[in-house]
Amino acid sequence: MALPVSGVPTTEAPAAQAPAAHGLARIGRAVRLNRKATVGSVLLLIFILIALFPGVIAHDSPTQDAYAPQLGVSTAHLLGTNHYGQDLFAQLVYGTRNVLIIAFVVGLATTMIAVLIGVAAAYLGGMADSSLNVVTDVLLVIPIFPLLIVIAAYAHGGTTLVLIAAITLTSWSYTARQLRSQALTLRRRDFLEAARVRGERALYIIVVELIPTMTSLLVAAFLTNALYAVLFASSLQFIGLGDPNTVSWGTTLYWAQNNAALQTGQPLWAIAPGACIAVLGAAFALLNYAFDEIGNPALRPVRKVRQKKEGSQQRAEK
Amino acid sequence: MLEVSGLTVDYVLDRGNVRAVDDVSFTVGRGEFLGIVGESGCGKSTLLFAVAQLLAPPAAVAAGTVTFEGTNLVGLTDEQLSAMRWRDMSLVMQSAMNALNPVTSIGAQFKDAMRAHGKFTGEEIAARSAEVLTMVGIDPVHLRSYPHQLSGGMRQRSMIAMAMLFTPDLIIMDEPTSALDVVAQRSLMVQIKELQLEFGFAVIFVTHDMSLISHFSDRLMVMYAGQVAEFGATKSIFDRPLHPYTKGLLEAFPSIRGPRVPLKGIPGNPPDLSRVPSGCRFRPRCPYAIDKCAELTPELYPLDGDLVRCLRRADGSLAS
Amino acid sequence: MTDDLPRTQLLKAEHLTRHFKIGGTLSRRTLHAVDDVSFAIGEREIVALAGESGSGKSTIARMLAQVYKPTSGEVFFEGKPLSSMTSRQEKLRYSGLVPMVFQDPFSSINPVFRVQHGVLRCLKLHRPSLSAAQRLEEAARVFEVVGLNPDMLQRFPYELSGGQRQRVGFAQALAMRPKLILADEPVSMLDVSIRIGLLNLMAKLRDEEGASILYITHDIASARYVADRLIVMYAGHIAETGPIEDVLSHPRHPYTQLLLSAVPDPRAPLSVAAETDRGEPPRVIDPAPGCLFRWRCPLAIDTCAQVTPVLAELRPAAPAGGSGGVVPPGKHLAACHVAQTSPEEVKAFS
Repeated sequence: MALPVSGVPTTEAPAAQAPAAHGLARIGRAVRLNRKATVGSVLLLIFILIALFPGVIAHDSPTQDAYAPQLGVSTAHLLGTNHYGQDLFAQLVYGTRNVLIIAFVVGLATTMIAVLIGVAAAYLGGMADSSLNVVTDVLLVIPIFPLLIVIAAYAHGGTTLVLIAAITLTSWSYTARQLRSQALTLRRRDFLEAARVRGERALYIIVVELIPTMTSLLVAAFLTNALYAVLFASSLQFIGLGDPNTVSWGTTLYWAQNNAALQTGQPLWAIAPGACIAVLGAAFALLNYAFDEIGNPALRPVRKVRQKKEGSQQRAEK
Repeated sequence: MLEVSGLTVDYVLDRGNVRAVDDVSFTVGRGEFLGIVGESGCGKSTLLFAVAQLLAPPAAVAAGTVTFEGTNLVGLTDEQLSAMRWRDMSLVMQSAMNALNPVTSIGAQFKDAMRAHGKFTGEEIAARSAEVLTMVGIDPVHLRSYPHQLSGGMRQRSMIAMAMLFTPDLIIMDEPTSALDVVAQRSLMVQIKELQLEFGFAVIFVTHDMSLISHFSDRLMVMYAGQVAEFGATKSIFDRPLHPYTKGLLEAFPSIRGPRVPLKGIPGNPPDLSRVPSGCRFRPRCPYAIDKCAELTPELYPLDGDLVRCLRRADGSLAS
Repeated sequence: MTDDLPRTQLLKAEHLTRHFKIGGTLSRRTLHAVDDVSFAIGEREIVALAGESGSGKSTIARMLAQVYKPTSGEVFFEGKPLSSMTSRQEKLRYSGLVPMVFQDPFSSINPVFRVQHGVLRCLKLHRPSLSAAQRLEEAARVFEVVGLNPDMLQRFPYELSGGQRQRVGFAQALAMRPKLILADEPVSMLDVSIRIGLLNLMAKLRDEEGASILYITHDIASARYVADRLIVMYAGHIAETGPIEDVLSHPRHPYTQLLLSAVPDPRAPLSVAAETDRGEPPRVIDPAPGCLFRWRCPLAIDTCAQVTPVLAELRPAAPAGGSGGVVPPGKHLAACHVAQTSPEEVKAFS
């Protein structure tokens, strides 16, 4: 029956006469209209460009200690140099690539594992559900950071690959739980039963019919996991469990800490990478909110409604 | 008692305003049973919520007044409205399962409702709750029950009981029977009518099923695409439908008795309210439409004691 | 007992029963959704399965669609029992010959794909000999048959109205060249003026495409409009069955009479029979023998509390006329002790 109050009045008539622009075009339009999405995507785009073309922006090598140490901010060194005479700005610019790789790969891998396990558990039910749940719950209960420390230490200091594997392994269970709950509510939808009744196999239904209806959830899961990957990876690198020779924001922080940067009057060394992490995190978070709003119109900010003067002088509630 | 005049409701959307209710006027006298009939998208539910002042953004009243017992409700603040709500006017929603709180008992919800609109002692609340449940034919022992423990019919009845806690002058009902089976539906309708005759409140009853209220309403308002298409005494509308849409609706009900005849229904679909047709909104689906119908927008014309929004009826070119 | 049909029997259900365990894992209570139901469906006929919610009609549909397995009893399709269909091949063939159309037009089509998706999948699965181009042609053809413009194939579900979406559901069923379509309340969520179009479509599918339809509904008036035979269900049992005109003009089971009296008909004066009845169909949990309608029945006698009534013929059916000449002369059966033992018709509810 028709929605009475908030929400578009449903009509029996078709919503548009021409086939609507779908897929990417719709997302593009939605991103332009939503302020959070625009800011978030612009920020992310900047970081991606920096990661792809570091040499264009930073002219110095990040690892060569070619300069006098502890220089202040100047036009030659936008963020000064560190204790070893390395250009800080170059370090951050070149480090972006490592951070983004970790973020995207972990985000993708975690989401994919979580989807397979969570959605399959929800759809198949019964024994399959129970056994998959046991695995998920065990991993869920173990605290992530201590586990990460153990794994990274066991691997004798993490190369980027080890970091990615460790974070993925410990993060997928939370998302799997979430996606399982969502899939459970979607399982009852008639079109899934219709697919079953027309003779589709279970795997087909899960992958082709069910998962595509969960795209907004999957995007949210990806963004959340990417965000946490950045934070976890940087934290691990900061406490020394990453490879200290990798150029990354977390390792820059590690060296800053090792050389007591804040206390010895080189605050930028510690603050700048932290700020980068914060801004990238904010970009992911903004995009997450934005996709929530795009996917669920009820969450969008509402505009004031002005009434015609002949009826009443009152302005409607916001 | 209730006078709605020129009520217009707009939904403010990204792609422009959609006028869900367009210049609707009607009155409801004391103890009167008014039926509002229309299909999905005709604006009847929006109209109801506008009268009860329950619209939320993006919907808002764009024009018109709703005068209830002398006061214009449009533009009142929440405090002013809550003095009147439930005591003088109450609302029964479409699906009890959505309107009732699933985690509290019926009795607790009655208590909430009473406390929200007045100061009462525990005994007064218990006594009144038991009284209204008995009125609708439910054993008061069910005050302790949770909504899922009651059948669909009983849930709807308890919604009506809740609406009657303060014996209001007007009860607005939004398709209260549409989730029920036919026998429960009939018995609920009869119950509502009995209560109405006994306690003398007025009822505005919104439904998409004309045949359902044919025996119960005094007057009937047929809505189409946000406007009033026809308005008059129930009996005269059923005996002699004036608007081609009303005629089409009546003929879309297959009958249990009488000969089996093939029916046609009304071809096409109701219009998209963001793009209404020029002239008469029903014109694309009307078997009697002529050129004039696309050029002029019909007003409500009085005819034989009813009001009808049809050019050809107004100028007499369409014989009954 | 089944009513005999001179026509080829397409589907026969014998003593179909379905129970569900309810309560926790330790509970032994069972819900008797369907109990000992037997009926048959012939070729080229529309059988209406009518009843209120909880009567078991949807469960029967799902047993016929092989979504549930019967707790006991058997379904025969073209003579073969469903339980003997164990291979995927056999099950696939059956699901193409006996497809289902669902009730809710807003959730029965996957919203992320174009509307052609379901039809094309049906064709791919059930008519594998067709090439991709032939599939598109066939999709366009079935769309036309159900009254949709073929260029709607490219639309998305949100662009279609409820009535159009239900037509898509019928198109999907039609694409598989079905013998029997299980239509689970296909019009109850549509506006009244749109329903007639869909009902007319169902009659057309019977007449022109040669499909039988099991039309599940709680709306007797629409059943009368389109169906040839009627099965009335109450609390998991069949209360009455027979040619539809016969059953509606001479209802013998008190429940059928109650249903008929409750149907709103603006052309008839208000019947007061249903006033005292609260309209509460029972949830049948671990029932004792006896007629389940007896608490609401003004005619109940002692036997009703002791012996569960079975379907029995009450009087020979006269061929009812006036429905296009295609009327199966079937028998009119009712499961009521009083109706079976009394020589003339008794009215419980007028």
